[in-house]
Amino acid sequence: MSDPTFTIATSVDDALAALANGARPIAGGSDLFVGARQGKAPLPESIIAIDRLAELATIEATSAGTRIGAMVNHATLMTDPTVVADFTAIADAAALVGSPATRNVGTIGGNVMNGSPAMDTGAPLVVLGATAHLQSQNGSRNVTLDELWIGPSRTSAAPDELCIGLDIPARPERSGSAYVRLEYRRAMEIAVVGAAAHVALDDSGNLAEVSVALTAVAPTILAVDGLDSLVGQSVDDSTLASVAERASEVATPISDLRASDAYRRHTVGVMARRAVDAAARRAQGEQIAVPVNRALGIGASA
Amino acid sequence: MANATEQKPAPRFVRADGPDKVTGSGRYVADMSLTGMLHAKFRYAGVAHATIDKIDTSAAETIPGVVSVLTAADVPDVIYSPVVPDRRLFAQDVVRFEGEIIAAVAATTPEIAQQAVDAIVFEYTERPVVDDLEAAMAPDAPLVHEDWESYAVTGDTPRDRNVATFSSIAKGDADAGMAEADMVVKGRYVADGCHAAPIEPRGVLAQWEGTKVTIWTSTQVPFDARNGVCETLGLASNHVRIIVPHLGGGFGGKCGFHFEAHIAALARDARRPVKLVFSREEEFIAPDRRRESMIVDLETGLRSDGTIVARRGWVAVENGAYTADAAFFPQLAAMHVAGPYKMDNVKIDASLVYTNRQPSGSVRAPTAPQACWACESHTDELARALDMDPVEFRKKNAIDTGDTGAVGQVYDEIGMQECIEAATSAIDYGKDLPENEAIGVAIGWWPSFPGPSGAFVRLDADGLGQIVTGAQECGTGAVMTLRQLAADELGMDPEDFQIIYQDTGVGPYDTGATGSQTLLNNGRAVVDAAQQIAEQLRVHAAEQLEAAAGDIVLVDGAAHVAGSPDRSIPIPALAEVAAEGEQLLGKGSGTPPAYPDIPGMNCVGDQGVAAWAAPQFSCHAVHVRLDPDTGVTRVLNVSCAHDSGTIINPIAAHGQVEGGVMMGIGQALTEGTQYSDDGRQLNAALLEYKLQTFADLPTITTAFIQTPTTEAGPRGAKGLAEAPNVPTAAAIANGIAKLVGQPVRKLPMTAERVWEASQ
Ligand SMILES: Cc1cc2nc3c(=O)[nH]c(=O)nc-3n(C[C@H](O)[C@H](O)[C@H](O)COP(=O)(O)OP(=O)(O)OC[C@H]3O[C@@H](n4cnc5c(N)ncnc54)[C@H](O)[C@@H]3O)c2cc1C
Repeated sequence: MSDPTFTIATSVDDALAALANGARPIAGGSDLFVGARQGKAPLPESIIAIDRLAELATIEATSAGTRIGAMVNHATLMTDPTVVADFTAIADAAALVGSPATRNVGTIGGNVMNGSPAMDTGAPLVVLGATAHLQSQNGSRNVTLDELWIGPSRTSAAPDELCIGLDIPARPERSGSAYVRLEYRRAMEIAVVGAAAHVALDDSGNLAEVSVALTAVAPTILAVDGLDSLVGQSVDDSTLASVAERASEVATPISDLRASDAYRRHTVGVMARRAVDAAARRAQGEQIAVPVNRALGIGASA
Repeated sequence: MANATEQKPAPRFVRADGPDKVTGSGRYVADMSLTGMLHAKFRYAGVAHATIDKIDTSAAETIPGVVSVLTAADVPDVIYSPVVPDRRLFAQDVVRFEGEIIAAVAATTPEIAQQAVDAIVFEYTERPVVDDLEAAMAPDAPLVHEDWESYAVTGDTPRDRNVATFSSIAKGDADAGMAEADMVVKGRYVADGCHAAPIEPRGVLAQWEGTKVTIWTSTQVPFDARNGVCETLGLASNHVRIIVPHLGGGFGGKCGFHFEAHIAALARDARRPVKLVFSREEEFIAPDRRRESMIVDLETGLRSDGTIVARRGWVAVENGAYTADAAFFPQLAAMHVAGPYKMDNVKIDASLVYTNRQPSGSVRAPTAPQACWACESHTDELARALDMDPVEFRKKNAIDTGDTGAVGQVYDEIGMQECIEAATSAIDYGKDLPENEAIGVAIGWWPSFPGPSGAFVRLDADGLGQIVTGAQECGTGAVMTLRQLAADELGMDPEDFQIIYQDTGVGPYDTGATGSQTLLNNGRAVVDAAQQIAEQLRVHAAEQLEAAAGDIVLVDGAAHVAGSPDRSIPIPALAEVAAEGEQLLGKGSGTPPAYPDIPGMNCVGDQGVAAWAAPQFSCHAVHVRLDPDTGVTRVLNVSCAHDSGTIINPIAAHGQVEGGVMMGIGQALTEGTQYSDDGRQLNAALLEYKLQTFADLPTITTAFIQTPTTEAGPRGAKGLAEAPNVPTAAAIANGIAKLVGQPVRKLPMTAERVWEASQ
């Protein structure tokens, strides 16, 4: 066994070269190191730190929308004016992550590339139609998140690919998004289940677009299909009931220490309904403060 | 009725250990390091119940850097434990829970020690796992201790097979009473075990000099730790010195003697200092101090006028694999399922049951939060059956000054009824609330534990004071309050005193940070010692001021002649004179307050907790909000009222109540140990064992009902560390039950359990 190496990248090229040589990137380390200490997987032999790459820590307008750099941390995501205004579900999610310390250390790139089905920014990114921008010495590509996540903690990114950022298309008119999560306590919690929704309304206030994705009820973040029939409907109790029912139906949760499968299946429907409700209200211009969990008392937590 | 006395203005002084703890300059065992120090690791059984076939340490011993490997063969064969001696330092023949130690290693680094531990070959044959309290009591149940009949037992307690101790409360005729009742209400309540979860995983560091050993350890009870080392390693008490640097919390989890002897034995064998520092997982699995799981069956006969005519109870308390200090738990649990109520006919049977799980031990108010939760959930069911408001029911049935309780003790001056009044009126009980909100109310009680304790106080030549005490600070602030007591006796400022404490080589005996007893007992000792110095000062001052010693008063740092404040002399001036001759040295212990008589008590298996000296009373009223779609409960507001006698240090007292409430919320909603079918803890980590966080903190208000109590601690103080932990979970349960329409019956009342109950 050779000695482990830890190198600090000073440029993206540096980082890509290290990856090509077999190094693993570390951003905040709040998954990688904590996981190693818990014995999930040993630390990689060679580690390249990307936390000083300022060019990956920006939120910038692009021709297609907005790019959130991989190194943007949760503390920034929950307060950044663009994210809060246009991609509110991401801010809702980031505001729930761990504790102030975790939010200042953990990054969106790390959250996405770690690929946990319980990751909080995942469902918001899915409903907002985000793609991951990956780059290696051989070039770059954008992949949909559906293609990226192939199983619990498994991604389709090649070992030498670095996530540069998440590309999110521009927000349609009269749209809104929200993320809600079931939590047993108000800090240092991991999603028992969660749901994100994106809603766009037509001129008469009916649904023009609706998408929902679920946290912690399948091997990866789960996009809910079969909601097309709701387009054109108003966001009323019966619509919300259909959302809840469909979410519970597509979920394939497991039983573990945090909850039974039956309870997860039930509550993920509740979360989906609440996410769509909050997203629709935001689309109508209602100001619901980030995170929705605190503003609306999700899980009795106001 | 008791009188609530006026509250004195809060004396404000910085607790001596505060700055160290909040700035990080404080040193804990894990921070210590000695020249040549080795690192220890334990090999745990990892299996809940098995016969040991083979323990082979030879491969471990050859690993470079490994200095000592010990098993049962390397230490004296001593069976220890208070009351029911049933365990050894290292497993012999049989392992009875997953965290049982089969070997210990000392090596040059913690990593090498771990490698060696992993290299130990442990072969075993599994035995049936006993993990169900009811099944364990069946006549044909497999035995956790096959040779239980051979164990020497102190005291008088019936035992039988897997029942380690048994206590009953019997008064009047429960059967006859039940027959007279207009209605009878029954209920079963099942509580999971849980953990103390102190922030500091424990550390132990041992160093020998010749035949004497010094052990730095995170214990709440230095003298117990010393006695355990002496007993198991065959050492004289004055050859073992226990020192506790700062202690990072304990909550009872660090009571008792734990791993000090293992580390001392390693250090002796290695001839080098050895240090052990637990991981968080070990802190969950290995100590014999976690809160016991419990099953409570209650049956109460009521008269239609709303009085209780009879109660029958059956309680099974989990002992775990070995008897730590849980021997008296059945009696304590029985007292709590009887509760602070008037009742003439009572029969409660309570058993301490062996299982193949981690041993139970005194965690903050042992047995009380679960038993109170059962009793008080049941009480609300009684009120519901009578169609009576539950607070009115309590006012009618709870004991008041002069009343007789379930065991026949007659209560002098107590503030039970005042607590109910204060807690419920402060939260405006009965006000209109939104649909998903309710206020649950519960009452509780808790004994005070008088006992021996000692302290020295001295004033040096410059008039500054030193308190030297055997007391231990576990975060309650009780030790810090000793400065105030000494200062008040001498007319000085608390800041004039330093404390030397938690060192068995220096301070006189004290029981330690256990049983809410520090202020009660060590406070008395410090007052006694300080009074001796006060007397010396008066004699010196009388000479100088040409007055009678009896006319001298000590106030504002000086000795005055009573009535002539200008005839005075500063204490430092007196101290300077005294330093030349007979020094200003006080040694105190005082006489512990007496235990009351209980005429007519008819208890079997008395473990000394049926008659309560200086009993403390409490009422918590909790405003909860329920998310009916998910079962998640949020605690919004907790209104507490406590009769713990005189409150000497209000800042510390409020801190105790607030901390106790937070611990109670955790036990109510999120904290419970989960086990696999083969007896292993599944959530031995802070991610899955969910403590409450500051983000969950509700509004907490506290009223102190300062009932004058004669047989108590200094100035009538009763102690306060455990009492606030008693009724919170019960009050939350009653709030939830109002919203769900029935009690949840399982503790913790997790979101999923609440949701299930409401289906
Ligand atoms: C106490 C605590 C609480 C937490 N609470 C939450 C929570 O509430 N919700 C939640 O979702 N998560 C939570 N987490 C998990 C973690 O903090 C988040 O997933 C965080 O966003 C991870 O980011 P990081 O920068 O720390 O990742 P790292 O640990 O640095 O990396 C994670 C993984 O992604 C890879 N990686 C990182 N950056 C890149 C990149 N740019 N390109 C390619 N691969 C990359 C790493 O190699 C590694 O495999 C918590 C963690 C802790 C310790």
